[in-house]
Amino acid sequence: MGDTRQCAICGQPATVHVSHIADGKMVQMHYCEACSQEKGATDPAVFKLVDVLAAQSAQPVLVCPSCGFSDVDFRKRGRLGCPACWEVFGEALGGLLAKVQHEPVHHGRAPAGLQPDEATLRARIESARRELAAAVKAEDFESAARLRDEIARLESSVKTS
Amino acid sequence: MSVRDILSAENELTNMLGAQQAVVLSTRVRLARNLAGLPFPGWAKPAQREEVADRCLKALEALPRFRRGHVLRMSGLSDLDRAVLVERHLVSKELANGKSGAAVISRDQTCSVMVNEEDHLRIQVVKAGWHLRSAWHLAEQLDDALAPRLGFAFSERLGYLTACPTNVGTGLRASAMLHLPALCLSGHMDKVTRGLGQDGLAVRGWLGEGTEAAGNVFQISNQQTLGRSEEEIMKHLSGWIKTVVEQERNARRRLAAEEGEKFTDRAARALGVLRHARLLSSAESMNMLSHLRLACDMGCLPEERRSAVDRLMIEGQPAHIQALTGAELDSDARDVRRAAAIREALKDFPEVGPPSA
Repeated sequence: MGDTRQCAICGQPATVHVSHIADGKMVQMHYCEACSQEKGATDPAVFKLVDVLAAQSAQPVLVCPSCGFSDVDFRKRGRLGCPACWEVFGEALGGLLAKVQHEPVHHGRAPAGLQPDEATLRARIESARRELAAAVKAEDFESAARLRDEIARLESSVKTS
Repeated sequence: MSVRDILSAENELTNMLGAQQAVVLSTRVRLARNLAGLPFPGWAKPAQREEVADRCLKALEALPRFRRGHVLRMSGLSDLDRAVLVERHLVSKELANGKSGAAVISRDQTCSVMVNEEDHLRIQVVKAGWHLRSAWHLAEQLDDALAPRLGFAFSERLGYLTACPTNVGTGLRASAMLHLPALCLSGHMDKVTRGLGQDGLAVRGWLGEGTEAAGNVFQISNQQTLGRSEEEIMKHLSGWIKTVVEQERNARRRLAAEEGEKFTDRAARALGVLRHARLLSSAESMNMLSHLRLACDMGCLPEERRSAVDRLMIEGQPAHIQALTGAELDSDARDVRRAAAIREALKDFPEVGPPSA
């Protein structure tokens, strides 16, 4: 019995079959010899190609209600659609953030005029304490004094909030 | 014509208004910001991008920092003008090639804000030499002035929300442009690049991502933007920049001591080529200018000649040569013009002597 599956690129009978796991689901892609060579389907970089093809055929699982952007779009572009997308895809992006960033929580500035909530203030105190310890260790007393004042200021805003 | 004015005006980088230094050419701070409630430029409809551009340009033009500055819509510029802005690092290639991008540039060219690049706003501050603190303070002031006017997308947990997960959080990319000829000549640059990469810093060539390190110039920047405060990010970068500068200085001293006459000869040959060549490609001139800059740093040439060298590195780039000539030129004609401009600028340079530094 001959193989009746067709190449995903040109529609010729497929002879190269690649299994790939996307979002916990097994996706099988099929190519003819020529396309597999040309597109490098037997190469580790094939996963990129499989991603693109799988993304084209897959049904979106998550869609941003505010801009219509979906997880399929994200796989194609690697960029989000709008600020509200972070709410929709935030959890799904957790693994990626852990890979490309220090930790998945913001330590740092907030827009001028925005009153930070208690959790944010505590996170900032935490990061200022870490900086203070590093400054003391490095005998950078100028920074240490500045940080000590900043921690005192942050702690007083936690108490008043 | 605005881009012509940018070329001829006194400015931070080609006139060295800031303090100039031996190893660090310039310091740069960039903040990515977006307007709440509007799609990022890559996903927005043309009308939404227009709305973003209108709101942002209006807010930017009202800031004292941009008084008598430049407001440039990419769609209104020629290919050559856009290329000049990219070579000067005032806008990115992505902004220059896009349809609805705009940029607002301060008169002294230290501050530039890109509108509708990957994010709605990219606030940039550049300083000649190593001045991370003052560059950061300028960026912080612009950020604070714009936030109440524009309403930035921000989450308590994830910080400033950006189109790409690699910019979310602080949205801060801090970088230094370093001239590292001795580390390159002594074959240590790969090791330095690997070391920096392992500790979360990116090393790129002269024109940013994916470019060759022409003229031994490298850009070093933080990669992570989330999970560390702005202060921590800058302290981490500063520590490494100090280390790399120190390593470069040591490599220079070693090279000068070990090579003796060969060290002086390299600089003297570079000056000879630059002062007499009739055709100079961009790559060759960058490499020869790099040797000349090293000669100024090491006392083979008077230190005050360094600013002329730095200026030629910027103004010898392809689009600059054409813009300064006032005509579109093919590659051969550019090499003729470049050689002529460099001959003229170096004609009263003194002879190269042995290193004294």
